[in-house]
Amino acid sequence: MNRRVLFAIAILVWAVLPMVLPRHFTDLLVFAAIYSVAGLGVGLLLGHCGIVTLAQSAFYAIGAYASAIVTVNLKLPMIVGVAAGLVTSGVIALALGWPVLRLRGYFLAVATLALAMIASALFFEWDWLTGGTIGLGGIPKLGAFGVVLDTPQSFYYAAWITAALSMILVHNLVSGRTGLAMRSMRDAIDAARVLAIDIHSLRVQMFVLCAMLGSLSGSLFAHYTGYVSVASFSIDKAILFLLIPVIGGAGSIAGIIVGALFITFVPEVLSKIGDFHGIVFGLALVIVVIAAPHGIVGTVERWWHNRRSGVSPTAEARR
Amino acid sequence: MIKHGVSPQRLRALMCVSALAAAVVTAFATPGTAQAQQATGEPIKIGAILAITGPGAGLGGPTRNGILLAEKAVNASGGVRGRPIRVIIEDDASNPDNARTKANALVHNEKVVGLLGPSQIAQALSTGAITDPLKLPQIVPAGLSVPVERERKCIYHVLPSQELNARALMEYAATALKAKRVGVLHDSGYGNAVMGALKAISSSYPGVEFVTIEKFEIGATDVTTQAAKVRAANPDAVMVIATSGVPFRAVKQVRLEAPVIAAIGSSSYSYVKAMGEGADNVVIPEFLVGEDPLPHQKAFVDMYRQEYKETPKNFEAAGWDMVQFMVAALRAVGPEAKPAEVCEWLRRPHSGVLADYDFRESDLTGMKLPSYVYSKLVKGEYTRLPFRVAK
Amino acid sequence: MTLSLVAQAVLSGVTNGVIYALIGMGLAVIFKGSRAINAAQGEFSLIGAVASVFAMKAAGFSYPAAFAVGALAGAATGVLIDLLLVRPMIRRRAQEDAFLLLTIGIAFAISAAVLFFAGRDYFTLPSIGSDGVAILFDATIRYHAIWVIVITALIVIALRAFYRKTNIGLSMMAASIDADGASTTGINVDLMRTATYGMGGLLGALAGLLVAPLVPISFYMGLVFTLKGFCAAMIGGLTNPMGAIVGGLMLGLLESLAIVFIASAYKDVVALTVLIVIMILVPHGILGRAGRAGG
Repeated sequence: MNRRVLFAIAILVWAVLPMVLPRHFTDLLVFAAIYSVAGLGVGLLLGHCGIVTLAQSAFYAIGAYASAIVTVNLKLPMIVGVAAGLVTSGVIALALGWPVLRLRGYFLAVATLALAMIASALFFEWDWLTGGTIGLGGIPKLGAFGVVLDTPQSFYYAAWITAALSMILVHNLVSGRTGLAMRSMRDAIDAARVLAIDIHSLRVQMFVLCAMLGSLSGSLFAHYTGYVSVASFSIDKAILFLLIPVIGGAGSIAGIIVGALFITFVPEVLSKIGDFHGIVFGLALVIVVIAAPHGIVGTVERWWHNRRSGVSPTAEARR
Repeated sequence: MIKHGVSPQRLRALMCVSALAAAVVTAFATPGTAQAQQATGEPIKIGAILAITGPGAGLGGPTRNGILLAEKAVNASGGVRGRPIRVIIEDDASNPDNARTKANALVHNEKVVGLLGPSQIAQALSTGAITDPLKLPQIVPAGLSVPVERERKCIYHVLPSQELNARALMEYAATALKAKRVGVLHDSGYGNAVMGALKAISSSYPGVEFVTIEKFEIGATDVTTQAAKVRAANPDAVMVIATSGVPFRAVKQVRLEAPVIAAIGSSSYSYVKAMGEGADNVVIPEFLVGEDPLPHQKAFVDMYRQEYKETPKNFEAAGWDMVQFMVAALRAVGPEAKPAEVCEWLRRPHSGVLADYDFRESDLTGMKLPSYVYSKLVKGEYTRLPFRVAK
Repeated sequence: MTLSLVAQAVLSGVTNGVIYALIGMGLAVIFKGSRAINAAQGEFSLIGAVASVFAMKAAGFSYPAAFAVGALAGAATGVLIDLLLVRPMIRRRAQEDAFLLLTIGIAFAISAAVLFFAGRDYFTLPSIGSDGVAILFDATIRYHAIWVIVITALIVIALRAFYRKTNIGLSMMAASIDADGASTTGINVDLMRTATYGMGGLLGALAGLLVAPLVPISFYMGLVFTLKGFCAAMIGGLTNPMGAIVGGLMLGLLESLAIVFIASAYKDVVALTVLIVIMILVPHGILGRAGRAGG
């Protein structure tokens, strides 16, 4: 079958799902869309720049809090809240990223983790701003032109369209010159330097972009649930966002979607089996990491490529 | 009748005690009245969301036990108009996003007639966004915390608001201890919430001054330095507000001799074990002291002990009360009634094992200071103090 | 600001610091031997403590025997992780990041397993020596804490001697620095890696066993320990387990001095900010060697 036809069918299925699925599955799909935006940023840094970031939960929180405070306390339109979140995240990412991104490898990962932990501590401490454990409620639902998106079915479209637009943006970035520069920086750093690519500046730019994606994701989250509290922004969330590109595959958009679906549906489905569902989730992660080292999509792509070109798998693995 | 997460051993135990309970009940049925029947027929579904795993498991686990016990008792005495109830218990893993997802599933998929839980404040707020528009009755074993909850008129609470908890602490400090200088050691989550309430009500207690307020993060493993700072301020009494045993150990280690008043969140057997030697000379305003229950609590304590071979405390009783209230409403208006009708019927006074409530009150709880029972930990054992707040 | 407060800060800081150091050492040992960051290091502590508690309660072992059981449980877990999980990944030439994520999955699984099998209670062990406190300048330190400091110092000395003097230790180092060269000289690289994980597990379990009398341990605390251990190991230099001691002590003291001199609310913010600053200014850690230390 022709690729375009496949694509059109996929879009059709996507559009029809909320009407046929039970409500709480649609709800999970909405969360998958929201998380995929944040995971997109993390995947960008991981897959194309080779940077492991555990700070995404902090930017997600900033976006959520910005939207909440702007719409509830300041009573300004939602777009202002989203913009406030983007700007705040961008500025903080720039200010902190500039010194921190001089680090490499694990040090950088730990530094981003430290940033997330500092952010979490401040969210608890500054409860006059964030509401602390009690959180901020009464956030208005997304809506325009008289249409209010207050059900999972209606928000589904807004969430996935936002996710799709973000993915297109990132895809264009990655296919262009910036993408080439990033990959050269990741794979052959000395050659990149010789070609006068400003490594550090590029890394910071990507970090800022990742942060802004996280912020956008957080704003979506705030307007979907109507309530935010610091309990949603813990280190567990940072790890979850990292899992999206790792499980799905950092190198491709499809991988991000698969990863986001994995982290929303698998724990939910597993929780039905009993009190030991946590163990099974951990084991599932382990199995995916071992069996699919390039993420599910990455591994499937390689396997598919091997089958078509007749290359033996072991030769492929040695590459 | 098999619910998620019930182990085979538990199920066998449940069935044995079920048979025993049924036998006991029939043995005591007076002649002339209808014999109590085991309920039969299509089960009526009630949803429950609790923190079974995650850091809140100390709350969710006990609550689940209370709920299961009540479910069994209700079904053994005829259920709701002859039909059994079935409480579908879901785990939110101490996370408000999960709680929301579970609420969606229970309310829209399982079509439960009412919701019990969740165990924690943030989760109660996030699930409330789902039940409130439908006016689905929800009973929460956590205190009310923010003004927006007063708008959600179908969400009732069986544990006191932070403000009431704060008052209970202050009453003891001011009236029983006659303390003028109070030091506080609290954690950054639950502790912050109660501390905020304490500050808000402090003007009602003009003789009491907070001479030092020290804070520690939720997962802290050592707070001796903070405890030393509290000691250095020389308080007459110390309030410890946390959901762990760590600060109590620290208070003991730094030889902080002032009497300790703890918030109800610290009161569970697992926390007491964790307190080690710090579980001494600690007063807790709470509601159920299983070792020495008030007369109206004795039946529940005995039943719980027989079933689980452990002594119940506040959260077990809360689980029991929640089920009883929901069932009372369903028996009155019928299981086919609209959610809003069940919600309306609940809006009245109730007498539970844990306390007396009045869901007509604006705080949707109606608990009063005189319901508090003050316990004192003496060498790791709970004892009940005669001190009560006067009506 | 009294001398007593500062003294307490120092004593508490050192006590905590030594615990962070123990976990950091385990992390550094595993990194040194396999170039993998073990996000499940804190879980070894959990396993050590829980195994020991069960040995005493359920099987009636004496404290020293239970201690040994706990230590062995940790070592065994480390070995199993290497044999069952790490080895297949090495065969498939997995990237370095993948090991971090593998250990994250393991950490989730172990924490959930402890909750499921051992319950949500807190676990404590009896103190070494008496339960009392020693008093210094009106500040207190538990006798057990003093024992922990002494035992950790002994572990550090033993570890240093192990890596420098014994054949196995030297082989382990060789295997991690240059696997091909090492196997040419007859060193079984796979076995050395297994031994590394076993040792990391042993150190983690020891940390848990030594901490449990001071801090009641529960199923969700593995991550907390791991994070602190990370910071300790980073400050000290990830390739050098001795550096973890310096790192741990610095972190512990930073935290408690921040509480006393700044405010208890900002303790973590201060400590972590200093950590980041140190990492930027001293890229190989305070004691780390030059060369690829974490890149």
